[in-house]
Amino acid sequence: MSANNSKTGKILLLIGRLALAAIFLVAAYAKMKPQSGGEWSLGSLRVSLAMFAMQVDSYQLLSPQQVNFVAKLLPPFELFLGLWLLSGILLPLSALVTSLLLGGFFATMVRSYRMGLEINCGCFGPGERLGPMTLLRDGSMLALAIAVTVGAFWMYRKRAALKSAPASADVAVGAAG
Amino acid sequence: MVAGLALSMGLASGAGAQATSSTASTTGSTKAASTKTASTKTAAAKPKADAGVSAAPNKNIGNPNAPIKMEVFSDYECPSCGNFYESTVKQLIHSYVADGKVYLVHHDFPLQMHRYSGIAARFSNGAAKMGKFQDVDAALFDNQAAWTESGDVTKYVAAAMSPQDFTKLEGILKGCSNSPAPQAKFDNSMPAADPNCSVDKYIVEDIQKGYAVPVKATPTFVVTYKGKTYPMASAVSWEVLKQFFDTLLTQ
Repeated sequence: MSANNSKTGKILLLIGRLALAAIFLVAAYAKMKPQSGGEWSLGSLRVSLAMFAMQVDSYQLLSPQQVNFVAKLLPPFELFLGLWLLSGILLPLSALVTSLLLGGFFATMVRSYRMGLEINCGCFGPGERLGPMTLLRDGSMLALAIAVTVGAFWMYRKRAALKSAPASADVAVGAAG
Repeated sequence: MVAGLALSMGLASGAGAQATSSTASTTGSTKAASTKTASTKTAAAKPKADAGVSAAPNKNIGNPNAPIKMEVFSDYECPSCGNFYESTVKQLIHSYVADGKVYLVHHDFPLQMHRYSGIAARFSNGAAKMGKFQDVDAALFDNQAAWTESGDVTKYVAAAMSPQDFTKLEGILKGCSNSPAPQAKFDNSMPAADPNCSVDKYIVEDIQKGYAVPVKATPTFVVTYKGKTYPMASAVSWEVLKQFFDTLLTQ
């Protein structure tokens, strides 16, 4: 029963992790791809990031300098996070970073929606309006990230407990001997 | 005469515009004066058709051969459009449009939710037929809060023009008093253009172009450079927009 639960948990964690990885890879791709069609080049990437900067700016939250910093940093970081999640290395940490990032996005979106800003979400490139559906989608993504984070930490602790259990038995045996 | 035009246009639009005074307020005159000063500075960027009444309204500012074309779909009553005009478009006109880097094209997209936006668009198109678009455009945005509150669009348009020009504008809009001004619909259906109103068909054409983008909110702008289009559906600061233009120009 416990082994079955553990197996199901592992599968769910794997699915959640891959889903989050896919979301971040798609988000990074959508922001960096040539925005008006055409071929990939350094020039097209610069235009795409400059266009993403306008989307960040439309949230009316950051100064132009901060907008530039975020616009240049965020898409490559999303790509990195997607690959990190895909690799499964240090999953509790990557899932925690994902949850914090999605939490920040969600809070910003809720704030802008409550302010009545009629803007693009900018989540997956241009042309997607910020509204109840985008809030629902991003809220679901945040819930998934939190679930994966909790699951990853739970698995990590369980594994750590399993590793330490035989060691403490040896110590007990040694002491008895 | 001014009051008569305002009242008739307001009532005809179903907006219930309040009766107006025939003289512009001090605030209105001051703002219009500053608008005229600003317009003089950018004389090079102004449309050439200043004399007479052209067949089609010229709502474009700058050099048509500029490398970048920026089409703005705007609603005179929308607060975001007002902020975008004041904080971004004005600086754009004074710099990149005046320098010949950007050709600015205004499209009317008066939203159904706004009471006087259609009337404002009629004034703007009428003024554009006379080559006075830039003055009236600026006056409408500069005084947006005032006429949105009072419904007295006419006062601020009149203050932005000479009495002779305003009389000419009244003549252009004479046939517009019997029907509501066209506005973009929530269901994307085409609004009707009054055949007796000489400017309605141009507003409807703009709305049709907006549906094609598609414009989901105002302001929406479309930047065209080297045949590629980049739509953006929100107001952005001048610094960030300028950086986008610079990125395009250095490509």
